[in-house]
Amino acid sequence: MNIDTELEVWREQWQSDTVIAPDLRQKVQRQSRFMKIALIADIFVTVTIGGGTAAWAIRSPEPEIILLAVATWIFIAVAWTFSLAVNRGKWAPSAQDTAAFIDLSVRRCQSRLATVWFAAGMFVIQTVFVLSWVYLNSPARRQPLLTWLFFGSIPIDLVWLSTLAFFGFLIWARRKKRAELTRLYELRKKLCGQL
Amino acid sequence: MQYYQNRNMTHVQELGKSDEASTRPLDRTTLEQRFDRLIAANGPALSRLAASYTNTPGDRDDLVQDIAMALWQALPRFRGECSERTFLFRIAHNRAIAHLARARTAPLATDEADIHDTAPDPETGLARRQRMERLRRAIHRLPLEYRQVITLSLEDLGYGEIAEVLGISESNVGVRLTRARQILRESLEE
Repeated sequence: MNIDTELEVWREQWQSDTVIAPDLRQKVQRQSRFMKIALIADIFVTVTIGGGTAAWAIRSPEPEIILLAVATWIFIAVAWTFSLAVNRGKWAPSAQDTAAFIDLSVRRCQSRLATVWFAAGMFVIQTVFVLSWVYLNSPARRQPLLTWLFFGSIPIDLVWLSTLAFFGFLIWARRKKRAELTRLYELRKKLCGQL
Repeated sequence: MQYYQNRNMTHVQELGKSDEASTRPLDRTTLEQRFDRLIAANGPALSRLAASYTNTPGDRDDLVQDIAMALWQALPRFRGECSERTFLFRIAHNRAIAHLARARTAPLATDEADIHDTAPDPETGLARRQRMERLRRAIHRLPLEYRQVITLSLEDLGYGEIAEVLGISESNVGVRLTRARQILRESLEE
């Protein structure tokens, strides 16, 4: 078979598949709305927790309440600073050539891995701070610390359960991102090594 | 080749009507119209491209939606530096690569089940479908660098457009395409 005829035959066979996913625009708009809602939710949580502790400190300006409000805003500031720093230069549009896109994907993946460590550290520091604050500023102080920590109450048990769940999630996310990073390196070697 | 050049010129003329128009932010209605037009014109091509990177119809539809989402986000920044088609396929290929990186299965894993073309009459839809499916599976088995060029070539993109989409030289496109066709031919003859 002539080479060009062969390509034309393949083209005809290939293009005979005319399946198209329906309602793409609606799906895309729905997804865009979810992304906006997620961003608004992040801001809402920041404002609610930060604003809530600040309002509490203004209404009851006692040292421990002020300490809680200040610490909360420090945590919020550290989290947003890390988020902005780690995402800097990684918002570029998808429409770049393959090499640039893979580089961007590798950097995003590395950022996510860094975020996992950051999240783990932040969670430990916040949990220690909050538990210490609650222990020192509640009647629980009358109990021995270890008894309160492990047999104190259902809310404390929930803290440990959520800690377990959160670290389980972090381990899963780290494994997933490391596998993705390995695959990206392979793809980069395969595709970009030959450019 | 002249056909490709003419088509590219038309795209560039459509998109780059004036400098003012190309730097002005698009309003939502214009954006939606442009998005709809691109999807209507290239939806089946996107679906075929997605199918060459995925193993199941569900995954294919997810990838098409992912591509559509990336297109929706990138369209406001499009200033006609290349044809819309090149722009779209560049996004599609990048999303497909991201999909391969995220996928749990190995990038080239395919369902190896054979499609037997049992229909004696080549005009029947079933036989045509089987030939298409056989071709799709053969393309799916190609190494990624060859799969990329052959899928774009089968969508009528010229060497220049493929080079722009993949960010490689035209001569590299030629080399890859020749090799891709050779492997594909051998695979289909088995």
